[in-house]
Amino acid sequence: MSQRNHLGEFEEIVLLTVGILYDDAYGLAITDEIEQRTSRKVTLSSVHKTLMRLEQKGYLHSQMGGASEERGGRKKRLFTITNSGKEALREARQMRNALWQAIPHIVWEGGNI
Amino acid sequence: MSKRNSYTKKMPPKLAIRFLRWYCRPELVDEVEGDLYELFQRRIETEGLQRARLRYWLNVLMFFHPDYIKKRKSYHTNHTAMLRHNFLIAFRNFQRHRSTFFINLVGLSSGLACALLIFMWVNDEIGVDKFHEKDAQLFQLLEQGKNSEGVWVGEYTSGLMAETLAEEVPEVEYAVATRLREKGVILSIDDRYVRAAALFASEDFFNTFSFDLMQGNRDQVLADKNSVVISERLAINLFNTTENIVGKTVNFQDDQPFQVAGVFADVPANSSLQFDFVLSFEKFKEIEPNTLDWNFNTTKVYTVLQETASVQEFRSKIAGFLKDKRNNSNSTLLARPFSDGYLYGNYENGKQIRGRIEYVRLFSIIAVFILLIACINFMNLATAKASRRLKEIGVKKAIGAKRKTLIFQYLSESLLMASASLLIAILLVLLFLPQFNEITGKQLSLNLDVALVGTIVGIVLSTGLIAGSYPAFYLSGLDSVTMMRGHTLGTLRNAAKGQWARRGLVIFQFALSVLLIVSVVVVYQQIDFVQTKNLGYEKDNVLYFDIEGRVGEQLETFLSELRSVPGVMNAASIGQSIVDGSNSFSIDDWPGKPEDVNFPSFEMRPVTYDLLETLGVEMATGRVFSSEFSSEGSKIIFNQAAINMMGLSDPIGEVIRIGQTELEIIGITKNFHFRSLHEEVSPLFFVLRPSWTHQVVAKIEAGREREAIDRLQEFYQAYNPRYSFSYQFLDEDYQALYAAEQRVSNLSKYFAGIAIIISCLGLFGLATFTAERRLKEIGIRKALGASNFRIVRLLSAEFTQMVLIAILIALPISYFIVQQWLNDFAFSIDLRWWYFAGAGLIALLTAWFTVGFQTIKAARVNPVQCLKNE
Repeated sequence: MSQRNHLGEFEEIVLLTVGILYDDAYGLAITDEIEQRTSRKVTLSSVHKTLMRLEQKGYLHSQMGGASEERGGRKKRLFTITNSGKEALREARQMRNALWQAIPHIVWEGGNI
Repeated sequence: MSKRNSYTKKMPPKLAIRFLRWYCRPELVDEVEGDLYELFQRRIETEGLQRARLRYWLNVLMFFHPDYIKKRKSYHTNHTAMLRHNFLIAFRNFQRHRSTFFINLVGLSSGLACALLIFMWVNDEIGVDKFHEKDAQLFQLLEQGKNSEGVWVGEYTSGLMAETLAEEVPEVEYAVATRLREKGVILSIDDRYVRAAALFASEDFFNTFSFDLMQGNRDQVLADKNSVVISERLAINLFNTTENIVGKTVNFQDDQPFQVAGVFADVPANSSLQFDFVLSFEKFKEIEPNTLDWNFNTTKVYTVLQETASVQEFRSKIAGFLKDKRNNSNSTLLARPFSDGYLYGNYENGKQIRGRIEYVRLFSIIAVFILLIACINFMNLATAKASRRLKEIGVKKAIGAKRKTLIFQYLSESLLMASASLLIAILLVLLFLPQFNEITGKQLSLNLDVALVGTIVGIVLSTGLIAGSYPAFYLSGLDSVTMMRGHTLGTLRNAAKGQWARRGLVIFQFALSVLLIVSVVVVYQQIDFVQTKNLGYEKDNVLYFDIEGRVGEQLETFLSELRSVPGVMNAASIGQSIVDGSNSFSIDDWPGKPEDVNFPSFEMRPVTYDLLETLGVEMATGRVFSSEFSSEGSKIIFNQAAINMMGLSDPIGEVIRIGQTELEIIGITKNFHFRSLHEEVSPLFFVLRPSWTHQVVAKIEAGREREAIDRLQEFYQAYNPRYSFSYQFLDEDYQALYAAEQRVSNLSKYFAGIAIIISCLGLFGLATFTAERRLKEIGIRKALGASNFRIVRLLSAEFTQMVLIAILIALPISYFIVQQWLNDFAFSIDLRWWYFAGAGLIALLTAWFTVGFQTIKAARVNPVQCLKNE
């Protein structure tokens, strides 16, 4: 278990959402998408912080996008998943699958086999 | 104007943007600002401009996070060393100036202790009644009507109200009728008697309120007319246990058996409803048949609305509810959130105005004032003493200390001071909490929960920051060269400014003290006035007790025997307490009653013969009830207020009608204050109805109270052996009406005392400082022949001036404030000049005393001592 590969639950959600939005993943859009899909309240600042952290870890790559009228002439920072980001997601998924599979059937069946 | 509005409307708050740009790392500003802008525009659409702006601010604040904050160049390369250095300097400083340190510590810690106590009290007050699960949908129904003096609001309404509401108004989930007998009712098993507060309540009581029902079913405990639900404490008193008592039999009032249907946890102290056991409301209907009449107000009604119900709609639905229930009534129903009742219980002219919230606000302000006064001392002394530290600061600056470092040093010193004071303050709180609880009538304890710890940390931080701010920012800004020359502050260019600031603070501090003293004097005078005012009846040496057991069965015999007990001067009985009882009736007709005017209910007191004589109520005209006349049951006696309201010019002999009953007016009493002096005397009447009375009232001989009560007790025990004789004094009840004021009066006395002590501590410190600074001057003056007196006068003049200015400022403000407070009373004292003069004098004398002590010491020094160095 290397420290580097650890992906927090919220980090995972953010990373996945960046993937979903593909070419329009920036702070507010990601926040909106998460709120819609998970129906939980997330704040813009926490998403931003997570994005920064993920970029530091090398899972995300960002570049500045164009400015627009609706943003008061401000540019947006667009995120894309890097290869190591994809790797981290895959790993997280595999680990989860492995854990799922390790649960004995009896847990689900409640004793009625 | 409108053009400008439409332009600025779309913009987020400017200040927030500036703040964001100021702290945010430049490479991140763009994206954050853009996102926030987008969000802001969207929120204008969905939530409106106000909320959008607020949310924008919140967002900006949430981004204020280390990750986003610009890295600034740091001048201290070794933080820990610097910190240690600062602490060391601080400790050495404390040691060197012990008296200053001590003054600061005493001032700050007592200030903090006051603030903490007040915070705990306020917190407790605010939390009253908030614990019910359905708090948001829980309402109490009030009745409102008009009379000649304005709009009145009453808590009692008809006993039919609850069930009718539940049937007719779909918004209502539960509606419960309640009636409290708080004076205590006897419950017994075998030969064990317990007096406890009884609450009659309809079936859904435990569904409506979240009192913790430990045994029994919420829906059913009160369904049976003969069941009782008792508190844990009562269960232990009666059965020694709470286990397996459901189904057991308890006697109510000695003769009526009830089955225990459930046990509830003792009612928490922060509930305004207090009771020991609950009986079915069906039982109350049986005891008080009047309950089933729309014209009688016997009941308090609470209701829980459906979660989906609109309160607005509910209110409009019930407003005219009484119109067709009670003929000829214009009373309307109000729904007040239940938990508002405690803090906002007072009504004026039908508008919910004040109540205990006034005191909550008042004390919060006092807490802030006291803290402020303590902080001012700290600031003043620190600036004053600063001249001695000029060299230290000068050296530091010369070797390159930045202003920020110095500010940091001073602030850390004051924070250290504040933390030390906090520790002492907590000890003080623990020490004085029992006394504080006694004065306030509360059961507070120091629970270090998140809210309290947060508040304490907040208070200490802000105290430290406020207290340290002035010296920190002022001193650090001085020029190092001047300081290095070793001059005192007095010769510096900025000195005049500093002195004025110091004076201003002292003036402010004393003005606050004077304000507090005036308030204490006035509150004390008003309470004294209230308690000694001639009320129109004699409340002294009057005791009363409930009619129970055999007393009720043979009331007339009991009363006549009672009158012959030695020491008892007179005795009679009455329906409800003369002081705070409530039972109202509307009078349907009287000669010349206008058709189109709606009159409010009249207070009704059923009495026996001799009641008016026992209480010494004076008659304006006519006569009292007397056994010499026949059919006295069809006679009625009004008070003057009632006659005035009805507009009868020659009332004696006139006949009025209540329902189907016609009653002849035989007498008019002078107005007497049967309610608190907050209210005008309202219309009231007496009727002779021995069977409706509940309380025996006995007047005993003054000077022989002890003996009379012993005799009375013997007599009672012989008459009613199975009951304990439990009586109350009318004047004590009367005082209870002013419990809130009494407590405020007591508390404010202490707080004013503390405030002036802290102020004087500051003055003392400043006087010491001034005397020391001018020691050489004093020496020269003495050498030239000045007397001690002249020197004391010289040194005191400045302080006298400051205190006088403070008094001048404080007096008009305090006049305005106490006048506001007195307006709450329908009957109040006139403000006299000497209240204010007295307060001013107290402030001046304490100031002189404080300063005098120091200056006399300074004046008595031998000039040789202070001049030998020159």
